[in-house]
Amino acid sequence: MQWLDGLVQGVLLGGLYAQYALGMALMFGVMRIVNITHGDLMILLALTGISLAATFALGPWTVLMVLVALGAILGLLLQRLILNRVVGADPLPSLIATFGLSVALQNAMLQVWSADTRSLGGGDIAQASFQLGTLYVGVLPVIVLATATLLTGGLDATLRYTRFGRSLRAASADVEAAAMTGVNPKGVYAGATAVAVAILGFAAVFQSMRATVAPADGPFQLIYAFEAVIIGGMGSIWGAFLGAMVLGISQSIGFRIDPGFGILAGHLVFLLILALRPQGLLGKD
Amino acid sequence: MTDALAAASTTTFDGPRVRVQRRTTSSIVALILSVVVLVAVASMPLWASQGLIRDIVRLCCYIAIAQMWNMLAGYAGIVSVGQQAFVGVAAYMMFIIAQLWGVDPFVAVVLAMIAPALLAIPTYGLLHRLDGPYFAIGTWVIAEVMRLATSNFGYVNAGAGMSLRVMTGYSATERAVGISLLAALMLLVTVGGSYWLLRSRYGLALIAMRDNPIAAASQGVNVSRLRFLIWVAAAVGTGLAGAIYFMAQLRITPPSAYDPNWANIAIFIVMVGGLGSLEGVIIGALIYFFADRWFGQYGATYLVVLGLLTLFMALFARGGIWGLICKVVDAPWFPTRRTLVEERQ
Repeated sequence: MQWLDGLVQGVLLGGLYAQYALGMALMFGVMRIVNITHGDLMILLALTGISLAATFALGPWTVLMVLVALGAILGLLLQRLILNRVVGADPLPSLIATFGLSVALQNAMLQVWSADTRSLGGGDIAQASFQLGTLYVGVLPVIVLATATLLTGGLDATLRYTRFGRSLRAASADVEAAAMTGVNPKGVYAGATAVAVAILGFAAVFQSMRATVAPADGPFQLIYAFEAVIIGGMGSIWGAFLGAMVLGISQSIGFRIDPGFGILAGHLVFLLILALRPQGLLGKD
Repeated sequence: MTDALAAASTTTFDGPRVRVQRRTTSSIVALILSVVVLVAVASMPLWASQGLIRDIVRLCCYIAIAQMWNMLAGYAGIVSVGQQAFVGVAAYMMFIIAQLWGVDPFVAVVLAMIAPALLAIPTYGLLHRLDGPYFAIGTWVIAEVMRLATSNFGYVNAGAGMSLRVMTGYSATERAVGISLLAALMLLVTVGGSYWLLRSRYGLALIAMRDNPIAAASQGVNVSRLRFLIWVAAAVGTGLAGAIYFMAQLRITPPSAYDPNWANIAIFIVMVGGLGSLEGVIIGALIYFFADRWFGQYGATYLVVLGLLTLFMALFARGGIWGLICKVVDAPWFPTRRTLVEERQ
């Protein structure tokens, strides 16, 4: 019973991780860049949302809309001011640039919001739950999972069927060839970063409703997103979703074996997959 | 091969006689200064106070860790943000060997180097499957795994950490002598060793690899093997600095041993000082050391500035301060270039 509960809670936790992982998979697929501020931007959005909600007495869904819009703007700025200058075959400049920004962001947030953990009041939804057989399942985690599924499906459909999606896929296959056929790489990169950070707006609201956020949490979220992407298979959007589920389940089961073992179990499953199936669960050989 | 070339150049080659020049006036001055510095570090108990010794040992550890990161990022093309894994594992191994197994702590520092080497080998085996930027985040996962595993490991007192109580067997003076000699040895191994490596045949291969790995491979450089060797060597060098640092601290806990700040420091020093040069590391380490002393009290604001400075360097001045200096004056302290000079007859 305990294990079934662990499995269900793990899948629900995976819904949250999927929302971190989607943007990372998208940005890496298109630009071959890993944005180390990925987790810190999520925390920045979450803390901004909590302050907005407290100052203007906004409900969580209004905050969500504001944060998604704000995320898109932040993404565009990040692309315009920093990533455009470091995108290229050499991974060092983009890693170091975003690494420096990450250290700066974490400490700036520490100045503004102090080291306290905060959360966003979700009203009745945050506490509501329903019974499923012998298990109790929270309403909010189910909403999170449903949102993650919709986001994944939506992103996948965008990549498959829209003009923007086609140019994204063309740029990720070969950026120079794509430029020759009329795709503007800078426009595509800006679009991908904006979408990736906008998705973090969803993650920010749900993370701060489900749990707590503190300025130093960013690197952990970055690592979870990364592990989900690698477990699922680089370059696959549904792979990132599946990887997030595997990671969520591993942590949830590990946590039930020993509370000190939860996060570690997630890392170990990641390393195991890397050893046995380095192309990821859905990756092609 | 070399004989054949030499013969060819003397018999059939009618052009000017040439020789390869590697030393410059600035390098001779720097070499003498380096020896003076090494002797000064080794003889610290004769001239420095306890507090000064502690500060200089800390500076030496920064230089060592940064230089190891520089070899990885500047030459092998490997970016790691998880070097704290090796700092922590070596320091913990030293505490285990000295405190739990009863070996002399100064011997334990050397014996403990087996731990970072043993960690580096499977780590590379797993992570080299990942694409460039993902490799970097992978190293972070390894460091997190080590931190969490150590925090759950009762043998090393889990999250509460350990104290190096066996050091009470030595007087304060004996400890100062031991740690000064170790610090000098560490500088010799990490900085001197890197310089020696860069001037050797392997240095040519490394520089070729830095400029273009594919072209280097086509010239017969075994790029993947060389990367692996540099990765392991850098792990050991980083571990040596970790073991010496925590020996001076006399106390270790998982969060301090596996502190991501180790990677921050290495990256800041190398990026601000100058990637891919030994001079840059020394400049960067001195800047960091004094910035930390003068502005460390401002805490978070100071770290915001450090982070932004790293970002700025990555965007606009990838050669760091040493790169900017080189544009003005050409006086390398540790030249690795081979200059072809025409002999006057």
